Amino acid sequence: MGRWKRWLHLADEFYKAPYRGAIAREKRDQEDLFMLLVFSELMGVPNPASYYTLELQPILLENFHDWHTRMGMEKSPLDNFRCC
Amino acid sequence: MTRLLDLRILFVGGKGGVGKTTIASSLALLAASSGRRVLIVSTDPAHSLADIFDKSIGDQEVSLSKNLWALEIDSDREADRHISTVKQNMKTLVAPKMYAEIDRQLDLARYSPGAVEAAVLERVADLMAAAGTRYDLVIFDTAPTGHTVRLLSLPEIITAWTAGMLNHQDRSKRLGSLLDGLQKNGEESSDSGMMDFLKNDSKNQRNEEISRILQNRRDKFFEARKSLTDPRAAGFLLVLNPERLPILESKKAFDVLSRFQIEICGMVINRILPSDLTGDFLRSRLKQQSHYMEEISREFSGVRSISVPLLERDVYGIGMLENVGQILSTAISSSEIL
Repeated sequence: MGRWKRWLHLADEFYKAPYRGAIAREKRDQEDLFMLLVFSELMGVPNPASYYTLELQPILLENFHDWHTRMGMEKSPLDNFRCC
Repeated sequence: MTRLLDLRILFVGGKGGVGKTTIASSLALLAASSGRRVLIVSTDPAHSLADIFDKSIGDQEVSLSKNLWALEIDSDREADRHISTVKQNMKTLVAPKMYAEIDRQLDLARYSPGAVEAAVLERVADLMAAAGTRYDLVIFDTAPTGHTVRLLSLPEIITAWTAGMLNHQDRSKRLGSLLDGLQKNGEESSDSGMMDFLKNDSKNQRNEEISRILQNRRDKFFEARKSLTDPRAAGFLLVLNPERLPILESKKAFDVLSRFQIEICGMVINRILPSDLTGDFLRSRLKQQSHYMEEISREFSGVRSISVPLLERDVYGIGMLENVGQILSTAISSSEIL
């Protein structure tokens, strides 16, 4: 890699790195809000739309694992929603 | 009131036992005889359309007479159908190892509270879309008011939830692609599960497919809601008797419907006793009736009403329904504002 190219790469990193962290955090917060919306029903807050949004289930199943590990729970905290 | 039968969608509501099915069926026959293609739909779990027309009617549209079709929504079958559609959708959306867990989740959802009601609502929305295309007029012989009102308020809540979820999906995807743009040059994003899910093209495609399915469903409810709140397209007809409980129930329905901006296009005061009755017992009933008639005109001032007398015999079969239709036709043309 030429010196100029390396310099460009470093400059690029210099600008991008702080944003990358912030956006990843924002995205994770969004995921958490989504989980909160959907699982609030299991915690007793009724969601009248859940019947019409059952197709979201596969996304939930996949994200659920990420979520409960991030929340510091090794296993699924919900008896009726199995995970790993 | 003359434009009552020019609507595309007519809901007939009121307390159980006031004669909703009789009024709805007679109106349907009346509209059909004027050359409009009419579908009458029962949403009540305890159907009585078949009994009143004295013909077998099921979950599929059947022809009853010229220009008139009928169907009785089978709510359990509707819920089963919805769940099996979702299961079908899922098979293209998840990895085969997930099928068992997804099936288990969906079977739980099938028997969760509100599922059957939600299924009926979806069918109602489908049938509302048929008004103005396959049919000129769709009349819903609805369940007692409480149920109907819940049915009517649901689309708004569903729109909010579904839109919220879809927006979240969009936002999440936008943030994901923004993140991709910020990745180190020539480097793939990290291997965490979440990033993995975003990087994978087939999964992205899958999420778009899910969004598409949900968006379609939301659009359907949105359209139904739009017709429902358009007074030129849809109307709500309240049926009541000059008695205490139906009046109280109608008042509640009136308040809730007004709150959701659904126009009450009229009231049918059904089973009015003739005034020339004799005998202490019947005179006492008459006195009570006139008291309640006054209460109705006081409580529902500004609403158009038509009066239907108590008939000598109970009503069933097309012939008798046509007679009631004639009574309604005369009453409609001379209807007045209470």
